[in-house]
Amino acid sequence: MSLLAVQSAVPALWSPELLPRLPQRLVEMILQYFGAPEWLVSIAGFIVAASTVVGVFAGAFALLSLIERKTLARIQNRIGPNRAGWFGILQPVADGIKMLTKEDIVPAKAEKVLHLVAPILIVIPAILALGVIPYGRDWTPVPLELGLLFFFSVGTLTEIAVFIAGWASGSKFPMLGAMRAISQMVSYELPLIISALGVVMVSGSLSLPDIVDKQGGFHLGFIPAWNLFTPWGLVAGLVFYIASIAEANRCPFDLPEGESEIVAGHMTEYSGFKYALFFMGEYLGLFAISGLGITLFLGGWQAPLPGLGFVPSWIWFFAKLAVIIFSFLWIRGTFPRVRIDQLMRFAWLCMIPMALLTIPAAAIWHFAGRGFLSWVVTIPLLMIPWVIITVIYNKRLSPATRTYRFADS
Amino acid sequence: MIPLLILTPLILLAALGAVWKARPVHAALLLALTLAMTAVLYLSIGADFIGLVQFMVYVGAVAVLIVFSLLITRPGDEAEELVRRPKSLATGLVCTLPVLGVLVFQVSRLANPAALVVEPRAVSVEKLGITLFTTHAPAVITVAVLLTAVMIGAALFARDPGKKPHTPSDS
Repeated sequence: MSLLAVQSAVPALWSPELLPRLPQRLVEMILQYFGAPEWLVSIAGFIVAASTVVGVFAGAFALLSLIERKTLARIQNRIGPNRAGWFGILQPVADGIKMLTKEDIVPAKAEKVLHLVAPILIVIPAILALGVIPYGRDWTPVPLELGLLFFFSVGTLTEIAVFIAGWASGSKFPMLGAMRAISQMVSYELPLIISALGVVMVSGSLSLPDIVDKQGGFHLGFIPAWNLFTPWGLVAGLVFYIASIAEANRCPFDLPEGESEIVAGHMTEYSGFKYALFFMGEYLGLFAISGLGITLFLGGWQAPLPGLGFVPSWIWFFAKLAVIIFSFLWIRGTFPRVRIDQLMRFAWLCMIPMALLTIPAAAIWHFAGRGFLSWVVTIPLLMIPWVIITVIYNKRLSPATRTYRFADS
Repeated sequence: MIPLLILTPLILLAALGAVWKARPVHAALLLALTLAMTAVLYLSIGADFIGLVQFMVYVGAVAVLIVFSLLITRPGDEAEELVRRPKSLATGLVCTLPVLGVLVFQVSRLANPAALVVEPRAVSVEKLGITLFTTHAPAVITVAVLLTAVMIGAALFARDPGKKPHTPSDS
């Protein structure tokens, strides 16, 4: 019996479940074999675990930059990159070489130090945020007790970084881009954080692995007990999804870098590797925020159907991530960019009220027993304001009808 | 103790820089740096919750707000600021020295400062929340009402009277 307990506590080194942690455990084992002190083993293990996460997502970033161009091309009835390698598979490598060998131009009017600091500051929070997300049953790089708070805290650094980039460039387009970016990020951070609060209330924990654990199991034998499949969770999940698109500055909320209006926003005066860092920070941030959304609402690494437990849990996480990222690409290929007044109005008149309503709904859900009574009370609580917002405010929320003075007559 | 010895001089330097820099944006960024390093100081002594909240509220909200309002203002007031400096320095000293004096006096009066040190890791977030919303509930509610009043007031001030909401299609 005791032997069995030991075996289940230390699973086989080569089991697929623990594959992502293999480098870390190998390094720890090698160091222990050579009799290294305990603190050195743990520090080396942490460094290797962090490198694994950064490596995985840097690879995913390279892959996504190709998949995004290919997908957009298919949506727009083009072929997309197809010259570098087989079906353009080497395009990220070609892009990387081009970025690295380009001249690093610093404008004469720029603040030299701040101009350099901004691209670094934009990558750091994204990598830090990736560190606290539970990717698998046994794979959370840093299992913090205050993981969710940590995620949002480091996320706020992005705003400062974007401001520094826009201001230090000493040019008007980056400045306009930074102004747009800050106002957009501040407005959409509110619904983002408020919609996550319901999950915290129902789970009773700020630790992300705990939140995933609480979403285990199935209703009626086949509906996964994810937070998305509750009335408040559906609303909060949709609000979180839309707000995360805006936080990641992606189409249709890509005003801060709208190419057709302000060149590239805060990135206008950057070239070469610094520009690549901006690009990387943006995509790593996209992975981080999607990962958080999956953790909060889509059950993290939990399998979507019973009986699929034999598949390693981290595969489910990355499958969900792929679906979410693909939906972002699809939206980018389909919707036009919104106007700044539509963006603000949507945030303050629709997103924030609906996000605020999920808090009482989650409280009722928690205290009314999560059964039939909870459904009966929370659905009208969320549906009636939603109908009021969409119907009565429809005129104000929808784009104002444009009149063309010279073309209409 | 070591993080305290490293961080305190850095925080003081950044704070002095924030006061001394003539360019408003530099001053604001140094202020953000000061606040961020204070958050790191909290984290290093084991007060995780207050450290992260300090980071989120002060770096993420207050500093961003200051920086955003600076973006709207007109640049190039540095020469004026340098002329004003002796006067503003005097005002600042008059305001801060009494506070510093009271603080130093109170701390020096403590018979045994070490007795005040508690183990911060023993206080969980759950415990913190329960204390905040039971024992200190009146204070929390007062602050909430105050903030709501401020927000409504700000919205009223910002509203342009006698003018309909502007959309680009109006013109």
